[in-house]
Order: sequence, then structure tokens, then C-alpha cells
Amino acid sequence: MLRVLDKSRFNEFFETLKGLGTVVAPVKTSENLYSFQRISRADEASLQYTRTMIPPKKYFIPPDEVIFNFKKEPGLFVEPNNIYEKYVLLGVHACDINAMNLLGKVFLKELPDKYYHERRNNSFIIGISCTPDEYCFCKSTGTSTATEGFDIFLYDLESKYLVSTGSLKGYAFLEDHPEHFSPTETEDIKNYKEAEKKRLDSFTNSLEMNGLQEMLDLSYASPIWKEYGDKCLNCGNCNMVCPRCRCYDVHDFMNLDMNTGERRRKWYSCMLKDHGLVAGGHNFRPTSAERLRNRFNCKGSLREDMINCVGCGRCTRFCPADIDFVEVMRKVRGEYDE
Amino acid sequence: MSENELKPVKARITEIHEMTKIEKLVKIRFLDPEFSKDFKYTPGQFVKVGVMGVGEAPISICTAQSDETGLELCIRNAGRVTNAIHNHKVGDIIWVRGPYGNGFPMDSFAGRDLLLVAGGLGIAPIRGVLQYAIQNREKYGDITVLYGIRSYDWMLFKDDIMFYFRSGEIHGVNLYISYEDQEDLVLTDLGQERINRVTTGLVTKLFAIMNKPTDNTVAILCGPPIMYRFTVIELEKLGFTPDRVYMTLERRMRCGVGQCGHCIVGTGKSIKYVCKDGPVFTLWDAKNTKGMI
Repeated sequence: MLRVLDKSRFNEFFETLKGLGTVVAPVKTSENLYSFQRISRADEASLQYTRTMIPPKKYFIPPDEVIFNFKKEPGLFVEPNNIYEKYVLLGVHACDINAMNLLGKVFLKELPDKYYHERRNNSFIIGISCTPDEYCFCKSTGTSTATEGFDIFLYDLESKYLVSTGSLKGYAFLEDHPEHFSPTETEDIKNYKEAEKKRLDSFTNSLEMNGLQEMLDLSYASPIWKEYGDKCLNCGNCNMVCPRCRCYDVHDFMNLDMNTGERRRKWYSCMLKDHGLVAGGHNFRPTSAERLRNRFNCKGSLREDMINCVGCGRCTRFCPADIDFVEVMRKVRGEYDE
Repeated sequence: MSENELKPVKARITEIHEMTKIEKLVKIRFLDPEFSKDFKYTPGQFVKVGVMGVGEAPISICTAQSDETGLELCIRNAGRVTNAIHNHKVGDIIWVRGPYGNGFPMDSFAGRDLLLVAGGLGIAPIRGVLQYAIQNREKYGDITVLYGIRSYDWMLFKDDIMFYFRSGEIHGVNLYISYEDQEDLVLTDLGQERINRVTTGLVTKLFAIMNKPTDNTVAILCGPPIMYRFTVIELEKLGFTPDRVYMTLERRMRCGVGQCGHCIVGTGKSIKYVCKDGPVFTLWDAKNTKGMI
């Protein structure tokens, strides 16, 4: 279903969203940084943003969460209640929506993760169109648009949004709230096509994805990994900002009563030294080069039926060592002299 | 959704046997009889064993499923969790979830000879395979076991191993032992007791003295990372094709269900989760997935 939302009616639309849950949206936190945060007024949101540093996956798999409260006596593991919280994610870019679709392939398939499942089901996701900057290469990864994984999507057409639906929940929302929307005119579709052409033409960054898997395999013993491994600080920033990374660690914390405590899971990074360390001291990826190689191969794989990178540009944008993801992959492809 | 895959269940420790200075055999029984009844596993699968307030560790099951309730875990005191388990007594509670992983395809081995190669603690899942093969003895041909250890003090499952070493023929089992400590008196004596059954050096040394395997043999490997590379060389010399070599691998694992990412191995061409796609892989998988062995 397609509708039009006039920007002059956005405030009322926003008030209705509050009824669906806690509204979170990109907020400008400094000159160059945006962050998904709770907002209570529509004007707090910066819907024309480049990218947030931390991707919106944090609402489904939080950076640090209690997965169980436990009690030694009488021996209980109890899930916390906060997994049932309802969120409205307003203003999610197509790359991040696609990244969450990829996360769903890990967390919702054979042995579904209850926490991810509940949070995802309780959320209402509103996508928004974007303008690429010099870091974006989602056009290359095929993730510059989203066809699923959102409830409604707002396509910016200057004075109004073209609203499309991606789920039954989104469809029902439009049906239930006709007061915010008007029917689509032929002119709107024409404007949409023009705007989309302009947007796709404005990409300056790109990466050839065809056959990247074989290229990575052939580069297993390449000096590239040592070259960038030496440059890499092993800080793990790239993993923290990646909308697709999902490695986690699990730790138990005992309270001082020595009876109660928490089992927590936290985001983890494959660039940290102990990521591949097993009890007894053997490390399967002891060097920076091996860890970096593992990261790029993971990103370039089709393990979850689509490429494991959505081209959001965060890992390059936020790398303190200036390692450019696209540059490394181009070297893997042999596009520069080694 | 009410099922929570990460939620462990209670199990009671019913027996503890000290096998070496750092390895204990821990027998457990699930408290919930329903869970116990539904708990079906194959050799090569593993469970996440947890101690509340300390954490969880992946431990391979070293028994084959039987009517008797409970299962056995061979636990080396190597980290925080295993250390905590070592401080447990009979009657204490530990927390378990699983079973996870694919396990060995025991059905597909039917009608074949089995060559089991174990190095050190690698004997734990191999013992499950051996138990299974003995329970279903008519399904399999000759069974050969190659077991590499540092010294007699490090021998795990001493009763089982010594039984098969001395009188395995009753069950159609030939067991060979290699040991690294040349001064080891017990093993020197065992070497005199059965000629051409014991040798010093690494487990690969046994390939020279064992009976030549038939073309209908599958090899099943478990040991430290370095063992695979050298064992595979010997197996290929004997004409083993990559589909006839199975191995079970170790990696860091937090979840056991293909989420936490620690056990990932491979390249863009082939990425595997050791916990979910394995821990049992064929030599073909290892050849197609770089970094596996």
C-alpha cells in the first residue's frame, strides 16, 4: 500500500507513533555524530542524517544485557522483563534494515534467540530514505533499498513523504490512521522515480562484489593481512559500529550475597586478542593479521545467503587507524599493485 | 515464544572419578525426568556445562546413548568453569544445555571398518564413538584405535583402554598406544606385554605398526590442533579420500547455537560455525574451508 504523508502533518503522525511504544530516532549529538535515542518531540529527530555511530541493532541485541537473573538457592535462572519493551524505530536507513534482516538469519533461524525474537516482534520499524556520502557503498552490496524488514518506509520527496508498507503491521497502521495520510497521485510516483535515480547516481564509493568470495579465498596467504594487521590497533571499533556484527560474550556476575547474580551478554569483537582463545591457552587467531583476515572473510561471505556487509561505511568512518574497508577489499581483488 | 535456548537445566553429579591430575570423569543425571527422556544425542555432540556465577564451557559427551539415564563428561581443569566443576562433589548441581553440534554420522559408517585416532584429551568423544560401535557391533567391521598420550599417568579411561588393549579382539577391536615419555615404565612394560602394539613418539608413529586399513575404512580423529595436520598426511599416504576422514574440532564457543561468532572459521568462499555446522567435519570440509586445521 502506498500513501502520502505531508510534512506539515508530521507532528500529529509522530504523536500517534507514541501510542505504539517508546519512540527512538537519530538525534544529532555533536557536529558530526548522530545517535539513536529516545525522543518525545518530533523536532528532536534529525531525519536527514548520514549515519549513526552505533547502529539501531542495539534495540534488539543491546550492547550489554542481562539474559538471566539467577539464584543459587533454590537454583533458578529467570529471564528479565525488559525483553518485552516496545520500541518504535523512526528513521532507519535501508542499509540498517537490511543488516537487521541479516541478523534475523542468525538469531531467528534454527534455534531462535528468545531475546531477539521478542524485541523484534515488539518493535515498529519506520525506514527513511537517505542521501549517500563518501563512505556509503550500499549500492554495491545491493542494500541501498529495503523490500522487507520494516513496517513502513518514508521516502523523502521534499514537502512530503511517500509512505510504503513492508509488513502487515505497517499496513494495519496506515488503515487505522487514515487521518495522517492522503492518497498517492501519479505525480508522486514520478517524483519518487526521479529522486531515486538522482540518489543512485550520487554514489561516489563502490566495490565490485561479484566473485569476492573466491578472491578472498585466493588471498588467504596474501601479505595484505599483515600490512593492515600491522596498521590495525585491534580496538574493535569496527565491530561495535557494524550493523551486521553480532559476536557476543557471556559472563556471570555474582552479587555480594553469594546467592544471587546475573548472567550478562555483551557485544564482542573478533579483533580482540582472546576472541579465538580456548581454555588451556591455545589461540586459533593469535595475530592481528589473522584476526583482520577473519573479519574481512566473514564480511565477504555469503554464509547467510546474502553478503555479510551492507555497505554502511561505518567501519571505515570510525576506524581510528584509517583502515578503509573498500580499499582493503579492492586490494583483495587485485585492483591495486601489491 | 516461550522456549529459551540459552536457559540451562539442572543436572546432579552422581559420580566423580579422578582420571589424571587434571582430568575427572563426571557422571551427571538430569533432574527433570521428562528432559532426561527427550535428551537424545549421538557421539561427537557436546553440551554447554555451566556453574552458576562462574559461566559455561562446551564439553563433549564421552558416552554413547544408552537406556541407562545420565551421561559422562571428561573434564580437564583448564579454565574458570572447568576449575569450578573440579571443585564440585557428588550430589552437587551443575547446569546443562544441549546437546549441540552435528555429531558423528554413525549410521553412514554402517558396514565399514573404523579407524579411531585420538590424541590426549581427544579420546573423550572418540570413546563415545567406540561405545556406540560396541553397542551396535554388528553394524561395523573391524575397529582400530590409535591413542597417543604423554605417559601412563595421562591415560584417560584407563579401565576401558586397558581392557581393549589386552582383550579388544573379543569385540573385534585392536588398540594401539603411543607415548612421548620414553622413561615411562608402565608403558615400556605394556610394550613388552603386547609386541607391536605400543610405541614411543606421537600418535602418527602408530601408522607404521598397525594393520593396514582396508579401502572400506573411515578414519575418525580427535586431538590437539597440530595432530590433524600430521595425521591427515599419514592417512592420505594410505589412500584415504577426503570423504573417508572425519574429525571433530575445538574452538571457543559462548553460545553453542551459531550466534556468538567465536567459533567461526574459513574464508569468504566457505565460512563454517564449528558449533553448529560441526564440530564434526570431513577432510573435504577442511580442504574447502581454509583455517579449519
